[in-house]
Amino acid sequence: MTGNGDQLKLERVPTGITGLDRILRGGLLRGGVYIIEGVPGTGKTILANQICFSHVAAGGHGAFVTLLAESHTRMLQHLQPMSFYHEEAIPDRLYYVSGFRILESEGLKGIVDLLRREITGHQASLLVLDGFATTEESASSPREFKKFVHELQSHAAALECTVLLLTNGSACGVSPEYTMVDGVIRLEDTLFEQRTERTLQVAKFRGSDFLDGRHPFRITNQGLEIFPRIETAFAVPTVRDVYFPRRQSTGVPTLDAILGGGLLAQTSNGLYGPTGIGKTTLGLQYVAQSEPAEPGAFFGFFESPERLRARAETLGIDLRALEQRGAVEVIWYPQGEHILDELGHRMIEAVRRRGVKRLFVDGYGALVESATNPERMTRFISTLGNELRALKATVIMSMESRNVLGTATELPDKGLSSLLEGLILMRYTELDGRIRRLVSVTKIRDSAFDPGLREFAITPHGIEIGAAIHGMEAVLSGFAREPKAVTPDSRAQGKHRED
Amino acid sequence: MRTVLVVDDEFGTVEVLVAALEDAGYRVLTAANGRRALERLEENKPDLVVSDFMMPLMDGAALVEAIRSNPQFRDIPVIMMSAAPETALRKQVDGYEAFLRKPFRVPALLELIASLLNPPRSSSPR
Repeated sequence: MTGNGDQLKLERVPTGITGLDRILRGGLLRGGVYIIEGVPGTGKTILANQICFSHVAAGGHGAFVTLLAESHTRMLQHLQPMSFYHEEAIPDRLYYVSGFRILESEGLKGIVDLLRREITGHQASLLVLDGFATTEESASSPREFKKFVHELQSHAAALECTVLLLTNGSACGVSPEYTMVDGVIRLEDTLFEQRTERTLQVAKFRGSDFLDGRHPFRITNQGLEIFPRIETAFAVPTVRDVYFPRRQSTGVPTLDAILGGGLLAQTSNGLYGPTGIGKTTLGLQYVAQSEPAEPGAFFGFFESPERLRARAETLGIDLRALEQRGAVEVIWYPQGEHILDELGHRMIEAVRRRGVKRLFVDGYGALVESATNPERMTRFISTLGNELRALKATVIMSMESRNVLGTATELPDKGLSSLLEGLILMRYTELDGRIRRLVSVTKIRDSAFDPGLREFAITPHGIEIGAAIHGMEAVLSGFAREPKAVTPDSRAQGKHRED
Repeated sequence: MRTVLVVDDEFGTVEVLVAALEDAGYRVLTAANGRRALERLEENKPDLVVSDFMMPLMDGAALVEAIRSNPQFRDIPVIMMSAAPETALRKQVDGYEAFLRKPFRVPALLELIASLLNPPRSSSPR
């Protein structure tokens, strides 16, 4: 004797779009009716077709019914460049028909019959109705429209066919159909000054929790690529954070000594300093310590891989050989209009794919530039850092200070310093008519370190750090000076000031 | 005047073809699916049928089969058109005279209709 537990459990129908399935915790529910809404141009038709082609590629059957929408011929022409489009699926597994003339001649009753016949006739386990708003316009009363939606839901559930209703819809979501259907997925295109960002939001989803809020996406020839917001997608790291305190070399022995034996492995660290001081150089030395068994990655925005290899060569590092051996991967996203969450996902994917243990991110400023809402940055870095650490990566992120010389030593964002387990500060200072480079460690969480300031130079062997600076004052102001000798006169002046 | 029956569920396609065929001197009948097309055939036997493949209620494959199995209509030439490639259709349907992959240029269809209604070396109309 068996119970009916399995019958009650609703089966998932993956959309085949990694980001969306993640947001939906595995996909849509079999036999559910879902509204996909968005103003024209937001990507509804591409999304629905992408789900259809993925569904039929996985062995299902689909039917795509249009009502006063773009013609099938035109739609398929537009889909042809998309990588998910496989014309051999049509018409055997995926069938396109127009229901407009039936709607005109037979009304909503005719459409319900048509949809039911399309589902049964083509054994469709997924059905799309494009132009859903037209059905509401055709209804003689709100009651008739509600009845239509109800009948559609009944057939979908009975025939175990998942239904997607595409509509321009209303953002308020108070129409009766919104309360009746099993879920609402909203696509938007928001303008931020000159740039736009596309987002997807699951506004309603019966029978399961989901990742709430807006998730950015882009439309490429792969279709919709959706990047679940990092703060929700990795609110809890995907793997258990197993931590054994150990040290990891920076690639600069003297710096390792200052740090008390190297960086703490599986931590997030900041490398803060002005332009040109040597942050990227230190990053190269850091990833050059990588081995195929303990791989590294250089995730940069500024220098192309070719230029980076050339720069590494001047430091005696054969970056190309390291790449060929599988010890290092150089990932370059030239600065443009990136999506912050996409960068976060790419970074996590790069670490996960190769089991990266050393990650240098060059740098934080480019991440901020890609954020349409920079106020997110602290939460974003915190969540990203948690995931990367759980994946056993040690991260150094370069952060550029605004002033080349001067007193400002504030980190780019409030709250950032508390997220970083280690902070290395690089500064210029002027002394005797010369600009000198200084390095100091200002933070290593739960560990002793040498806080002294040291001068360093960039040599053909990389960064070489000298002894701690003694006998100088105002070094951090950017204008170091030797302390004035104490004379009776100055004592008198000091006393005078005190008076 | 020769009569052409245009069968397609997309009314935009039907509108374009009706206008082009009427301009070319044909009388045009229309139907939105295979089932309606069979009713039309009973009412007025056309000289040629131009049919879409993917349609609700009755598709192009079923329509061709019905035409070929009826002695009254089996000699009517049929042009099949579809946004799907012909290789995919061939698995489901046979018995049509010509195929046009959508989108196509209207002159190509007119040329095809003319060649089927007035075959070379034939002086008498079909």
